[in-house]
Amino acid sequence: MAEVKEIPKSDWAVHRYLYTRDISNAPVINLLLKQVDVIYQPRNEREVLEVLRIAKEEGATVVPRGAGTSGYGGVLPVKDIALLRLSRRKTIMIDFTRMDDFEIDEEKRLIECSPGAVWWEVEKKLNKKGLTLRVYPTSAPSSTVAGWIAQNGYGVGSLKYGGIAENVEKLRVADFSGVKEVEGKDLKYYIGMEGITGVITKAWVKVKEMEEMKYYGFHVSAKEANKIVFAGDHYAGLFLDSNYVKLKNEAFGTELPEKDTLMVATTEKLDGDESLGEEIWETRFYPMRVRRLGPGLVAAENVLPAESIPAYLNKLNKMIKKPHGSEIWYSKGRKGAVLSFIPSDERKFFSYAFTWFNSIRALKLAKSMRGVPYSTGFYLSSEAKLLFGGDYSELREYKRNVDPKGQLNPGKVFPVGVFPLAMGILQKVIP
Amino acid sequence: MKFEKELEDMIHACAQCFYCRVCPAFQSIKWESVSPRGRVYMLKGLKNKKIKLEPQLVEDFYKCTTCGACEEQCQTALHLVDLWEMARAEMVKEGLAPLPVHKKLRELALQTDNPYGEPKEKREDWIKGYKYEENAEIMYFAGCTASFRAVELAKNTVDLFNKVGLKFAYAGKNEYCCGSPFLRTGQRDVAYGLFRKNYEEWKKRGVKTIVSSCAGCYRTILIDYPKIAKELGLEWNFEVLHTSQLVNKLIKEGKLSPQKFSAKVTYHDPCHLGRHTKVYEEPREVIKAIGAELVEMDRNRGESFCCGSGGGVKSQFKDLAGAIGKNRILEAKETGAEYLISCCPFCKYHLKQMADEQGVQIKVVDLVEIVNNLAVKGEYKGDDIRCA
Repeated sequence: MAEVKEIPKSDWAVHRYLYTRDISNAPVINLLLKQVDVIYQPRNEREVLEVLRIAKEEGATVVPRGAGTSGYGGVLPVKDIALLRLSRRKTIMIDFTRMDDFEIDEEKRLIECSPGAVWWEVEKKLNKKGLTLRVYPTSAPSSTVAGWIAQNGYGVGSLKYGGIAENVEKLRVADFSGVKEVEGKDLKYYIGMEGITGVITKAWVKVKEMEEMKYYGFHVSAKEANKIVFAGDHYAGLFLDSNYVKLKNEAFGTELPEKDTLMVATTEKLDGDESLGEEIWETRFYPMRVRRLGPGLVAAENVLPAESIPAYLNKLNKMIKKPHGSEIWYSKGRKGAVLSFIPSDERKFFSYAFTWFNSIRALKLAKSMRGVPYSTGFYLSSEAKLLFGGDYSELREYKRNVDPKGQLNPGKVFPVGVFPLAMGILQKVIP
Repeated sequence: MKFEKELEDMIHACAQCFYCRVCPAFQSIKWESVSPRGRVYMLKGLKNKKIKLEPQLVEDFYKCTTCGACEEQCQTALHLVDLWEMARAEMVKEGLAPLPVHKKLRELALQTDNPYGEPKEKREDWIKGYKYEENAEIMYFAGCTASFRAVELAKNTVDLFNKVGLKFAYAGKNEYCCGSPFLRTGQRDVAYGLFRKNYEEWKKRGVKTIVSSCAGCYRTILIDYPKIAKELGLEWNFEVLHTSQLVNKLIKEGKLSPQKFSAKVTYHDPCHLGRHTKVYEEPREVIKAIGAELVEMDRNRGESFCCGSGGGVKSQFKDLAGAIGKNRILEAKETGAEYLISCCPFCKYHLKQMADEQGVQIKVVDLVEIVNNLAVKGEYKGDDIRCA
């Protein structure tokens, strides 16, 4: 075992403050969160195990962190009192910045990544070998491989290859009892589990050969978009509603026609506008530029059946009175992840808090149309049953077995303590 | 700490997406207190009184070369270099900055008008033997580093000007530091004083165009000086050129026809010339014009990786500057190039040092040195340059 002092760590007040955040800024809910006590930056799996040993010995909780680019509170430590525990536990954060190496297996079309490997760094290296990722998140320039796997979800390429869960071949995970490799049906115990069942130390992800891709733009409604997107064997589809195009123009200083717009990335020949398609494709990593307009942003993200999306957007647009807009990344299985943005000045507390309620209203609306939240994290742990469906009880039982003392990222994924109850009530009372 | 509206708006516009992780300081140190995202969040924390302005925080805030790589990637298109400089200026006002070495540079500059503390009279030593005017429309601004530390750059520049018969003025001991080290480290008052001296000198001599062979001086005179002039209510109507732009123009106009250069070279974009002022193509056009084989490093143009010496980092944090520079020199080595060309005396000096330290067999030269050596009428013969 490595000496503890060898593992880079910090308990400096400024670091504790800096590492206790993700991209969200939830009003009031912040009161339920606390700062981490110490941040470790292990450099290899052996050091991850050493940190877990320390946590076990000290009875501390462990929060794993990739790049902190999610907005569901999955990397935010929750106060013990909010989890209905009377004694305060120390919280250790494992930051994977120093574990960012990866290897490419050209023959097997697989990448073998350490948890902190950054998607776009991987992609650049793959491209040199004529390979490319099958799917990647729209935060690829900074988000980490294990971070997205632990969060689960859809992204670029999901139209053809599904979510990240469908593209993971194998995982290596560490918990208080050691390290294990999981694959096949057992992957569900770790993908989308946000580290509550174990910490990912290695991931094998499927990649593909590069193909000549074309990008087409269409000015069509969400209903028409469904027909185009799911008509062929396309790689990716992104729909921007006219409201979002308006915000985008304002934030980017562009002059795109302020109409509902679809972009399809495909190897097939389509009858669309290539320059429009390319322009939208090139800005795919910058959906949050509209934050400039607040300055600040409230977002809502829900996954809906494609057939429900036109009506969902229609109702959402009537419901939200402030300037807002939505973009949709389509996925295999006739689904779409609808991400809606409402620029809002976070310095104006009441106005911002009121705007934040819109994300709950959007969730409620999505649920009424067979939709589910994109993820759970901390904020939406009340929705775990809906998200995991028939696997819910089994997954929860697995969590109990592997982490009986609830030390691994407590308060995440599954509803624990007061907050999920409050969220449930809030959804009922909110109009 | 005081937060002007512009600074506060930027802090709240940051998406915390971390695309700015490309920051060379963060890539070396790995803690977010030295990352752009971390710095923005620290400012937010200071404003909301969640953290205290303390020496360690200030020190980490200064571990930034102001290279602007963060700005290039920023999801919300923030002017982050401006933000860093505004915040540093506030830290100076609070008395927690400048850092010791930066403070020393200030004292030297106040005494000698250059951060090296060299006697003013020595500034013009390098130009002996070259032809120049007292007054002309074009002013050559050598800058402190080329005047005192990298004189080969200044010499090659004016030698080239002489060869092509370019009429230019040089202010000699009446040239003053451009103020870049002080603007970058939050010591704006010193920079304003230096600005006034240079400005008056140029006006007095009837200058219309200022040519600099230093990327840092060029950025300062092109971007910062007009803003300072506006603040001070002074007219600003100077054209500002970097030597690489002038050389490219001379070649295109047929006024300079260098011999061919049969070597494999790579080009390092100086941050102040590339990202800050968007001069990416002119140096490359010159390299192509001389017939060299240009092999790009993986990170080039807007994505270029800093040499590590800017923003007051080399003077205050030598280890960090070394770690960043090592990264870059190894990237240059990967290209298999024989020459690493840059357009900034600071980059050249630092990268050469890194090449020596790492035992990397690559000749680090400034573009103007090569072009001057290849210029037909020249007398200068550089040691390292091989003509076709």
